[in-house]
Amino acid sequence: MFDVLSPALVYAGGAALTPFILNERLRQIFMLTIPVLALSLFWNLHEGTYAVFNLMNMQIGLMRVDKLSFIFGLIFSIAAFISVLYAWHVKDKLQQVATLLYAGAAIGAVFAADLVTLFVFWEATAIASVFLIWARRTPGAYYTGMRYLIIQISSGVILLGGIILQYQQTGSLAFDAMTLGSFSYENAGTWAIFIAFGIKCAFPLLHNWLQDAYPAATVTGTVTLSAFTTKLAIYALARGFPGTELLIYIGAAMTLFPIFFAAIENNLRRVLSYSINNQLGFMVVGIGIGTPLALNGTVAHAFCHILYKSLLFMSVGAVMFRTGTSKASELGGLYKSMPITMIFCIIGAMSISAFPLFSGFVSKSLILSAAADQGQFWIWLVLIIASVGVLEHSGIKIPYFTFFAHDTGKRVKEAPPHMLIAMGIAAFFCIGIGVYPQALYAMLPYDVDYVPYTTSHVVSQLQLLMFAGLAFAMLIRFGLYPPEFRSVNLDFDWLYRRLLPSIFRGLARMIERSWHAMTRLALYRLDRFLVVVYRAHGPQGPLARTWPTGSMVLWIAALLGTTLLLTYL
Amino acid sequence: MTPPDTKKPTSDMSWLSRRLLWTDKPEAVNGIFYGLIAICLALAAIDFVIHRHTYFDVEHITFVYGIFGFLVYGTVVFLAKGLRVFIRRPEDYYGTHATDSEPEDLAGTESLLSQKGEPDV
Repeated sequence: MFDVLSPALVYAGGAALTPFILNERLRQIFMLTIPVLALSLFWNLHEGTYAVFNLMNMQIGLMRVDKLSFIFGLIFSIAAFISVLYAWHVKDKLQQVATLLYAGAAIGAVFAADLVTLFVFWEATAIASVFLIWARRTPGAYYTGMRYLIIQISSGVILLGGIILQYQQTGSLAFDAMTLGSFSYENAGTWAIFIAFGIKCAFPLLHNWLQDAYPAATVTGTVTLSAFTTKLAIYALARGFPGTELLIYIGAAMTLFPIFFAAIENNLRRVLSYSINNQLGFMVVGIGIGTPLALNGTVAHAFCHILYKSLLFMSVGAVMFRTGTSKASELGGLYKSMPITMIFCIIGAMSISAFPLFSGFVSKSLILSAAADQGQFWIWLVLIIASVGVLEHSGIKIPYFTFFAHDTGKRVKEAPPHMLIAMGIAAFFCIGIGVYPQALYAMLPYDVDYVPYTTSHVVSQLQLLMFAGLAFAMLIRFGLYPPEFRSVNLDFDWLYRRLLPSIFRGLARMIERSWHAMTRLALYRLDRFLVVVYRAHGPQGPLARTWPTGSMVLWIAALLGTTLLLTYL
Repeated sequence: MTPPDTKKPTSDMSWLSRRLLWTDKPEAVNGIFYGLIAICLALAAIDFVIHRHTYFDVEHITFVYGIFGFLVYGTVVFLAKGLRVFIRRPEDYYGTHATDSEPEDLAGTESLLSQKGEPDV
């Protein structure tokens, strides 16, 4: 049918077959082969667009292979493999099918050459992924999943509206770079597409679905969720809106605000969700700057981020799997029980904090250098501040409060072997890329000669991180570091989770009360009216009284007499 | 890095964990702290030796990265502490419409699996 089979179809086929494989071991092995098989489909493909066909006069292209789509396809395949391996013990077919469909949809969207294909896979990621939240099968997960789904589907609907408007304006459905410009009727479609991407990318004030939904998913589901949706949005922005200046400021805001929320958040999986937000900010800034160096930085950072963020989610997930909690207030001293998980967690923490020889260093440097190259001093400064913030919540807080700090006395087994292998693979990449960045740089979309390991660069970064670490040590030593409490912190979603519902409830009560008051008043008036009518027409009323015939004749005679008199006057 | 929990035996710990038990001792915590100070001082001293390739003038200030990292870290923590005063709420604030106050076991932990009778992993 097609010259090339779309990897998304391989995942979809795999998902369709999975529930029918009854042997659990066989099912897991089958699932592990899916990412490998799908990757082999595009591994050797030359650049170009494949699986092109005409659908109702629309030019559809399922497989656009170029450097940008290839590297995202590759990292999504690695993430899918790691997610499936990490969930080796899970026997819930719902989660297994959802994982494959979700990963497949994300990869399908990455290779989409046209906006219609993008839309279909965009929505498919939303629908498939929500089952990883619902798989918890609790009322809280149900409501959280509904909130997540409403927001994700809204993003898709806005995208569809944008595509239709864009098609009307330009007559093209190709998914290429667009010019945002200032908002007007002519480019409303482009703006709609931009906002749809922004929702999935968790732009500031559109971000709450992320921190709301990810900690609500299952232990393994969160690892899967962390890899795809937001990075798909990064890909879409990098493809559609490179060099859009607005993104620089949006990205800078994204890097900055989550660090404060993450610092005081007790649920470690939510800390990591805030951290995703912060890391996406770096990538968005890179897209906004739009130079080859910056775009390379964004792509490299997305690649590294998926690996170290998965690693961190996996290590916190493994702790949660064994201890039954992911709350910092309930954890501590776990190096005594889970030392290998601790090592992997620290590797993830050092990678995200961008220590030299770890992956974050070689990718974040590209974005920082690109910002500095453009003379964007304030943006550069914000990114440096945000880097210290990352160290605070992901680099120190997560490993320290989980594995060290106050020993809660929990003595559990080390993480299961399959989890350790999955973490080991991610950790291997984190260090491998950090030590040998050329392997990653060679795959980036643009040919840029960049050397991350210069003396001044390494020294500057080490000074920044070690002095920040010293600040942490002093805060702990002097008892100034904020303790962890069992609590939730309000964020912007308070607006639609508490304020708006209470406003609506208040309005509903007001309408109900005024309705009662008005009906009471109307009934009272009606009663009074009926009393008056009754008084006149009732059995005793003057109008209902019986009159003698003689008096009527007398009155007629009087009337006639008066008429006669008036006639002759 | 609090006093070791002496109630629990250390013999059933893994080899790797036993190698790290020293971190619980107060003198070790002191050692780590002063070690960190020493590393920072050494890193600061490098500023006198190397010639930094910079993008902005501000980078020429001696120790600027160290001072900046130290101050920003403290500021972030204190601002976050301040923010907590306004936004902290009890765990069941959103009630049954959120998972925050639900038992975390339900997210598919080991104890849930054993309740379901699934084998250990």
